Amino acid sequence: MPDWEEEIRRRLVRLRLAPTREAEIIEELAQHLDDRYEESLRGGATEDEARQVVLLELTESDLLARDLCRVECPVWQEPATPEARRSTNMLGDFWQDLHYGLRMLAKNPGFTIVAVVALALGIGANSAIFSVVNTVLLRPLPYKDPDRLMMVWEDDAKGGFPRDTPAAANYIDWRDQNQVFEGMAAIANESFNMTGAGEPERIDGRRVSANLFSLLGVEPLMGRAFTPEEDQPGSNRVVIMSHGLWQLRFGSETKIIGSSLTLNGESFAVVGVMPPHFQFPSRDDELWVPIAFSSQEATNRGRHYLQVIARTKPGVTVEQAQAEMNTIAARLQQQYPDSNTELGATVTPLHEHVVGDIKPALLVLWGAVGFVLLVACANVANLLLARAAVRQKEIAVRVALGASRPRLIRQFLTESMLLAVLGGIVGLLLSLWGVNLLKAFIPENISQAQAVAIDGRALSFTILVSLLTGLVFGLAPATQTSNFNLNETLKEGGRDSATGSRGHRIRGLLVITEVAVSLVLLIGAGLLINSFLRLLNVDPGFRADKLLTMRVVLPELKYPDQTRRTAFYTELVSRIETLPGVQSAAVTNWIPLVLQGDSQGISIEGRPDPGPGKNPIVVTRVVSPHYFNTMGIQLLRGRQFGEQDRVDAPRVVVVSQEMARRFWSGEDPLGKRIKTGGVNSPSPWMEIVGVAKDVRQVKLDADPKPQMYVPYAQPVFFQPSHLVVRTDVEPRSLATTVRRTVWGIDKDQPVSNISTMEDVLSESLARQRFSMLLLGIFAAVALVLAAVGIYGVMSYSVAQRTHEIGIRMALGAQASDVLKLAIGGGLKLVTIGIVIGLVAAYVLTRVMSSLLFGVTATDPLTFIGVSVSLVIVALMACFVPARRATKVDPLIALRYE
Amino acid sequence: MSYIGSHIFDRELKKGSAELLILSLVEDQPRHGYDIGNLIEQRSEGALKFNVASLYPLLYRLEKRGWIQGRWVEKAGQRRRRYYRLTAEGKKILAAQRSSWREFVEAVNRITGIEHA
Repeated sequence: MPDWEEEIRRRLVRLRLAPTREAEIIEELAQHLDDRYEESLRGGATEDEARQVVLLELTESDLLARDLCRVECPVWQEPATPEARRSTNMLGDFWQDLHYGLRMLAKNPGFTIVAVVALALGIGANSAIFSVVNTVLLRPLPYKDPDRLMMVWEDDAKGGFPRDTPAAANYIDWRDQNQVFEGMAAIANESFNMTGAGEPERIDGRRVSANLFSLLGVEPLMGRAFTPEEDQPGSNRVVIMSHGLWQLRFGSETKIIGSSLTLNGESFAVVGVMPPHFQFPSRDDELWVPIAFSSQEATNRGRHYLQVIARTKPGVTVEQAQAEMNTIAARLQQQYPDSNTELGATVTPLHEHVVGDIKPALLVLWGAVGFVLLVACANVANLLLARAAVRQKEIAVRVALGASRPRLIRQFLTESMLLAVLGGIVGLLLSLWGVNLLKAFIPENISQAQAVAIDGRALSFTILVSLLTGLVFGLAPATQTSNFNLNETLKEGGRDSATGSRGHRIRGLLVITEVAVSLVLLIGAGLLINSFLRLLNVDPGFRADKLLTMRVVLPELKYPDQTRRTAFYTELVSRIETLPGVQSAAVTNWIPLVLQGDSQGISIEGRPDPGPGKNPIVVTRVVSPHYFNTMGIQLLRGRQFGEQDRVDAPRVVVVSQEMARRFWSGEDPLGKRIKTGGVNSPSPWMEIVGVAKDVRQVKLDADPKPQMYVPYAQPVFFQPSHLVVRTDVEPRSLATTVRRTVWGIDKDQPVSNISTMEDVLSESLARQRFSMLLLGIFAAVALVLAAVGIYGVMSYSVAQRTHEIGIRMALGAQASDVLKLAIGGGLKLVTIGIVIGLVAAYVLTRVMSSLLFGVTATDPLTFIGVSVSLVIVALMACFVPARRATKVDPLIALRYE
Repeated sequence: MSYIGSHIFDRELKKGSAELLILSLVEDQPRHGYDIGNLIEQRSEGALKFNVASLYPLLYRLEKRGWIQGRWVEKAGQRRRRYYRLTAEGKKILAAQRSSWREFVEAVNRITGIEHA
């Protein structure tokens, strides 16, 4: 008969039972196996078969050892604990830790959910903002070698335009004289009335140099780019269209190449269609035609209207390019003193030009989400610490059984990593949703805004952030928990380390961090909200309510002279003013706040001529008689324009308050005369007949510049292109009627950009609203997380001090004393956090000064107001657990232990 | 300690009823482990089966709780065997477990009976 005793002993040796007990068990089990063996033999089995049957009984030998251990071992010992087989089985340990960690999380769903939600909020916000930062700031522009693409500007710093749009003749000289650029191309705004097929449509486009597309390194999807020959007047009736226009307007018709389009009344041959997502310079552009400078244009240094892009030769730095352009600009100053005096040239990387405006806001938001994540980490670390306290006994047993400190730290880190990964997954889902939400908020004019998506880089970023997060919030509790006094903990009722002085300190530090970081975020958000409110309260100088606006640009071919144009607009305005629901209507070259406008240099009668190129520049608006009424612009003095201000009447002009203040300070501007251009220019003198209140023409947060208004019926340099209609009813409801009225006069006349002035106003604040809303949301999330964190720590601390509170109450302490005691502790931490937060905010909010309006980055009111609000929230978070403390029954509290 | 609470549910169920089975089998006369295991298997017609790994830890636990008592008995011509008998406390437990088991089975029957009706 086989020796079963040896088989059994081998399986029990790990249990280290008392020798006599072990012998008894072995004997009894061996007896059992003997019986089984004999029975099998009796049943006709061979010795080998019988042996197999018996061994089957022992197959679950781990189970045997474990179950026996539970009954027999003096202290329960997990035979399969890592400590027991202290081998270097890293992978095995890892799986075991993972398994164990998962089970711990599943067993504490409350803890797990709170931790995962906090982390998901932090990680999700980071991932979403990163995807925006990545797409808008980090991803290279979608052109070939985009690092070598530069914008070149005229530098008219003296005139207030350090980056001015160049004049054609200057561009041509730059292009022909430089040695640093491989190529240079010019772009001019153009919009086209497209007629012939369906409704007439106004389409934005550009006149561009023939080499623009090759300079960008982008080939048309179909057809070809322009040839140099097509960049000549007379042979430039060719057009390239955007993919979007081709799809929407022409149903992706492949035979489009070679067909012709009627643009501004002339026929253009379609030679190319650009690939999807191609946009240059702005995403509104849908048509490109050759710029083909006329000989007059090519020699003009006074009209500044081009955008110039250039590609540096390989190896040429921005500085070298700038130096070369300085030399050329200096030469041009000498050559053309009349136009180029004090006119320099500035080279800026295209990327900087494209992202320049939004960069500070995005960087601030990126920093803000980092802070949110920090608060989330502090929260989860706190939760882990509190939970570790509950697990002290378990850890003590493991240490007693020989678990090393690194081994325990690894175990805890695995658990935090697990949480971080879960938080990362949920956060990623959250960010997928958040990115779509963000897209709705991103101001439309931000390049690439619609391309924002969670791509590989954003995904890697999320994974990295999650893992780092796990490390950050896991390390403190792990090192803390694994470092404690074994004897103390093993004693029944012994204090664990997480409640010891060091545990308190870490907890306190975490609360302080949360408060400080939240305060910085809240102050940032407070400053932006403050700025935004101030912006909303800025008087734009006109009444935006019940005002309908649209663009009606007359094509030059059909309306070649001012008489015909004026006739059209006069007829249009008078027809519209008879419509029910319309109070008045007017036309102007530009409505305020669309970031476009015209200005002119002027001379003042009786003043010395300042010399060529030094005439003061004033914003010029060409308007029809009822313009001031319609826009609700207050006339402070004199009169507005009337029907009498015709082409043959004396020239008149209305100036703005700011213009009057700047040029006729202390004098009466009425009756004074000005003219456009230099004193000796052929343009006629215009008499000032009125002074109008200042209007914020460019943007709400820019001080009003000097402006003048001239009547549209008198000879003017700029053409009206916008219609404004003041209504009694909801302005949008009149849009169709007004459009039909236009078509009633000219059925081919496109109408575009139909909008209410309130929308224009609101759109002009899109960027500020974007930053304010997002930072506000992040600050709110941080505040909630911080409040939860403070509440958690205070609850825990009150629970730990139940015994002490019981004694105090037994000795006669009143509820108010206990309340004071409990709140006092929390308040101390909050106060320290606020002081640190205030100092940090004082330093950090400076980076957002470019985003602020009307408040300084260290606005004391915001700093104080936000701090007080945070103290109130923190007090409430302390108060709830503190009140619980006052409900402690001394008897129960004393029996606690 | 989490490991204790981590057993699979049906294992717990089997173990819970196994206590009742063992207590019942040693009620009338003392039996040794092999005998108990065989009886469970025979009387359940093979539906319930205990092997060394599951049976003995259970016996030792019941013994430790004082519900059964084991004793080495030597018979002529045989190796000594350990016989288990029911203690006074075990009797009480058995009675209690029996009645709760009966209630449980009846309750289940009532439910399943209605469902089948």
